Amino acid sequence: MTDLHDSAAAGVHTSAAAPWSIRMRDVSVRYPNGVVALKGVSLDIEAGEMVSVVGLSGSGKSSLIRTINGLVPISSGTLEVGGRHLETARGRELRQLRGEIGMIFQGFNLARRASVLNNVLVGRLAHTPTWRTLLGLYRAGDVRIAYEALNSVGILAKAYDRASTLSGGQQQRVAIARALAQQPKLVLADEPVASLDPPTAHGVMRDLRRINQELGITVLTNLHLLDLARTYGTRLIGLRAGEVVYDGPAATASDAVFETIYGRSIQHEDVLG
Amino acid sequence: MSTLAPLVLPPKPRGRWKPWLGLAIVLLITAVTLSPQWGIAFSFDAIARNWQNGADKVLALLQPDWTFFPRTIPPLVETLQMAVIATFVGAVVSLPLSLWAARLTNPNRYTRGALKTLLNAVRSIPDLLYASVLVAMVGVGALPGIIALVLFNVGIIVKMVSESIEVNDAGPLEAGRAAGGTQLQINRAIALTDAWPAFVNQTLYVLELNVRASTVLGLVGAGGLGLLIDAVRTFYRYDQLSLIILEILVVVVVIDAVSAAIRRRLV
Ligand SMILES: Nc1ncnc2c1ncn2[C@@H]1O[C@H](COP(=O)(O)OP(=O)(O)O)[C@@H](O)[C@H]1O
Ligand SMILES: [Mg+2]
Repeated sequence: MTDLHDSAAAGVHTSAAAPWSIRMRDVSVRYPNGVVALKGVSLDIEAGEMVSVVGLSGSGKSSLIRTINGLVPISSGTLEVGGRHLETARGRELRQLRGEIGMIFQGFNLARRASVLNNVLVGRLAHTPTWRTLLGLYRAGDVRIAYEALNSVGILAKAYDRASTLSGGQQQRVAIARALAQQPKLVLADEPVASLDPPTAHGVMRDLRRINQELGITVLTNLHLLDLARTYGTRLIGLRAGEVVYDGPAATASDAVFETIYGRSIQHEDVLG
Repeated sequence: MSTLAPLVLPPKPRGRWKPWLGLAIVLLITAVTLSPQWGIAFSFDAIARNWQNGADKVLALLQPDWTFFPRTIPPLVETLQMAVIATFVGAVVSLPLSLWAARLTNPNRYTRGALKTLLNAVRSIPDLLYASVLVAMVGVGALPGIIALVLFNVGIIVKMVSESIEVNDAGPLEAGRAAGGTQLQINRAIALTDAWPAFVNQTLYVLELNVRASTVLGLVGAGGLGLLIDAVRTFYRYDQLSLIILEILVVVVVIDAVSAAIRRRLV
């Protein structure tokens, strides 16, 4: 597994824009079917932090991460991302905000039949006029950014392959490259390694850590494995039934801490190894 | 098994048809259709009474009039032109409409509903009816045939392709939304690549349908082989008719082979 190739990764970010912070005040999320996924969550995440969010399945991790880029609307409370109010953003303003926030999904979410390069170019949509997208005429600069993003995750050689022909680990790297091509101020990852085998999972987690350490980007990662959360995060947030039940340093979080978050004793499925 | 606590079963999902219910309904409809009181009127005697008549025609059909061949070429070419032009125009119109008609690629339920209603109306009218009305409007010839086929094609392609889009994975589109793309950008950059095989397959399929349909449209004056079929049929020239049928068969087989080749290259 290749890690981020440092200089190339830095090249993607010559703009050296300041990373974003997140301020949540009393945020609740209620879905149309009545399920309350978040209950009065207040969080301050500083620019450049590497945060792991842990909790059992159904505890609201995905809902939390998806409110941060407005994929899930919040029902009450306020949410500032990079100093801009997300809860009132609509249309173009919301798209521009999303354009600054990279997102990585458990299922990679690549267009399977499209080339790797075209998938990475999706990361440039917010910076591309619609007519260019419709005609498939990407700017040379955007294509360059996409190549550099692919290079930084070590799969530039696959640029013209169909996304579906890649292995799971490679597909997740393409998804990371897509997020990097956004030149993001913040990266959100929703269980990015839950579909991967252990060595590949560590490779992807190292990529995310280096995005944080070398590019200085704020990274928020949902995980359900406690050893990954301890190893790769500097801060740990524990969710249980839609509420924050733990917020503290990750490395020193004891098993007892995880037992409070999970509301049960630690089992061997809770670690990747 | 230690304790046998009473099971609390979740409520069963409603509104789903049981397989046996579906089967019962099909059997019922078949029975009604065949019953003498309510069903369609038909009898086997008619076949027995007219068999001699039918046998003569079959005999004529088995002996194609090869000398008729040169006269069939221009209308055959016109039929093919109608089919190809109608397929092309129909496909170009259908591609954006397919994305417009699917929930995944057009979340606005009002514009989507309006389009679907319109398309249902378009589809509910048979192509022959379009052709006869259009012949009255724009005159005899290939043009009314082409317009009728385009309407027919759009009805089919948009329905089939938009339905295939609905079962595609929503994840990639969500990734496009998360990256700040507009719906139009997402549809073009992501949804289109996933919808492409269904689109190519449907387009090639309507090409084949168009060759057959365009022969029939001529019967109402909408150009192509149909005009000729109408003429030879009027003079009971079943030997000439059989030549035309053979030609249509050959064309359909050739188109089938050509579409298979195109499909391999495009999908
Ligand atoms: N789109 C949705 N509509 C309705 N309920 C949802 C939706 N997404 C999640 N939920 C519910 O919200 C709760 C939290 O889910 P989620 O945020 O996905 O948790 P996690 O990611 O920790 O598994 C669960 O009870 C889940 O069933
Ligand atoms: Mg989740």
